[in-house]
Amino acid sequence: MNAAPTSTANPGAAAPEAENSGATVGGHGWVRWMARVPWLGTGIDTARQVGAFTLIALGTLVTQRRHATRVIGPLVQAQVDRAGVRVLPIICFLGVAIGGLIVSQTTLLLVQVGQGGLVGSLLATVVVRELAPLTAALVVLARVGTATVAELGMARAMGEVEALEALGIDPVHYLVVPRLVGMSASIVCLTAYLVLTSLGAGYVVAFVRGLTMTPMDFAGSVAGALSWVDFPLLALKTAGFGVLTSMIICFHGLARPLRMEEVGEATTRTVAHTVVACVLLDGLFVPVYMAL
Amino acid sequence: MSGEPPEAVVEMEAASVGAADGVGRPLVRGVDWVVRAGEAWVLAGPMNAGKSALLETVAGLRVLAGGVLRVMGQGWEGLKGDALLALRRRVGLVFEGRGRVFPGLTVFENVALPLCYHANAALPEVASEVEEWLAEAGLSRWGGEPAGRLNPAWARRVALTRALVLRPDLLLLDDPLAGLDASHVRWWQDYLERLRGGHPRLGGRGLTLAMTASTPAAMPAWGDHARCAVMDQGQWREVGGLRDLASSKQPWLAAMETRG
Repeated sequence: MNAAPTSTANPGAAAPEAENSGATVGGHGWVRWMARVPWLGTGIDTARQVGAFTLIALGTLVTQRRHATRVIGPLVQAQVDRAGVRVLPIICFLGVAIGGLIVSQTTLLLVQVGQGGLVGSLLATVVVRELAPLTAALVVLARVGTATVAELGMARAMGEVEALEALGIDPVHYLVVPRLVGMSASIVCLTAYLVLTSLGAGYVVAFVRGLTMTPMDFAGSVAGALSWVDFPLLALKTAGFGVLTSMIICFHGLARPLRMEEVGEATTRTVAHTVVACVLLDGLFVPVYMAL
Repeated sequence: MSGEPPEAVVEMEAASVGAADGVGRPLVRGVDWVVRAGEAWVLAGPMNAGKSALLETVAGLRVLAGGVLRVMGQGWEGLKGDALLALRRRVGLVFEGRGRVFPGLTVFENVALPLCYHANAALPEVASEVEEWLAEAGLSRWGGEPAGRLNPAWARRVALTRALVLRPDLLLLDDPLAGLDASHVRWWQDYLERLRGGHPRLGGRGLTLAMTASTPAAMPAWGDHARCAVMDQGQWREVGGLRDLASSKQPWLAAMETRG
């Protein structure tokens, strides 16, 4: 019998070098037509590879959910600490800044048209539906994403992936799943903190700017702008951002062994791909919100 | 039944070993190799002869470029899930150089990781077993040190111990004696001899060993029981016992000795 690739789940196998493969996009119709544009072709190819990598990671997460939980659990906790707890101060700062700035910029205008009471609604709509999930994902990307790409790239270069396989340890389970779960959970939680701090700061700034609203009036204004569907949608969107962010980070880290001089380029590419992917995913939710 | 040869642990027939990505010209062709339980093999040859690639292929980390490979009677092809895991645990591999230890983990965590992962155990549950293994390898005093801070000789012992804790049936070692000083070489020789003869921590059964050596200085001082094959310029050739190597007039060996 001929020997064949036997990797438990070699991340590199699902994530070959996407950078130089702009002409390899298959598919039909408009996809093939768009692939003729060089950078678009590379983008589509990378998207397909990240998609395949994500399916492998999610499959591993599901099939191995009960396996080695006492090893993977602490790794998930470490990722939550790194991408969540340690990022909390900057998220709170940004929440205060975003809430304060939006209210300070819009209060005067709303008062002029006699709609000062809508300041809470305006803030809630902008922050809950758009700014908070995107900001949380991008802050996590900036804070831990680039470091993670370098970390995984060097681990791949040092042969640690093969070392794990030789020990019967699934590299995707050990290296990717904790980051997938940890970063996704962190982005969901950080979004909640961002919403709360920006609403709180928004109320304080509105009060300072002379809008005489009680906290209950402000809360009523916020609640009036949202429906119950906003909450599952927010959870879905933030989880989507979490999965996208963590998968693009892990993909670029494990796609190929990185030399020291390649780390900078890989991290830049990761940031660009993640920002574009999150904005595109965000765009998919716009029609849903418009239908509410 | 005493006339029956021991079970074949590795069988390669007309095998070709390729590059890591499975493309390009094979590094070695025509490998006909049978390793039987309890045997000790030395694969000798110059640098870049494909020795590491051969070991990684046997360990199931590389695609076989051609021919047939069976490990413990099974091909890696098509193995999945528990069957793949079970076979992986029966084959230990110690990589060359620093042994690809995980530099961010402590020495203790490096050795404990495979035990914890496969037994779904927390570190304290395997602590006593890990401590005993570390003591065997003279690594007790480094237990709390990050493995990345150890010098290569000690890091290689960590890699050996990490491979042994899973109690493999076959141990593959990639140039384990290269670049070591005399005391480390002596330790490795003694320890490998004990492993081959039946180590108590492995239940007293003799471990099947296959190691590579790229210089005469990295050859083990094993007796007649060790068997030897030479890999050079893409060719594979068995030369019989380890002592037959010197009389086999290998060009690379002669070149090494002249240089030395």
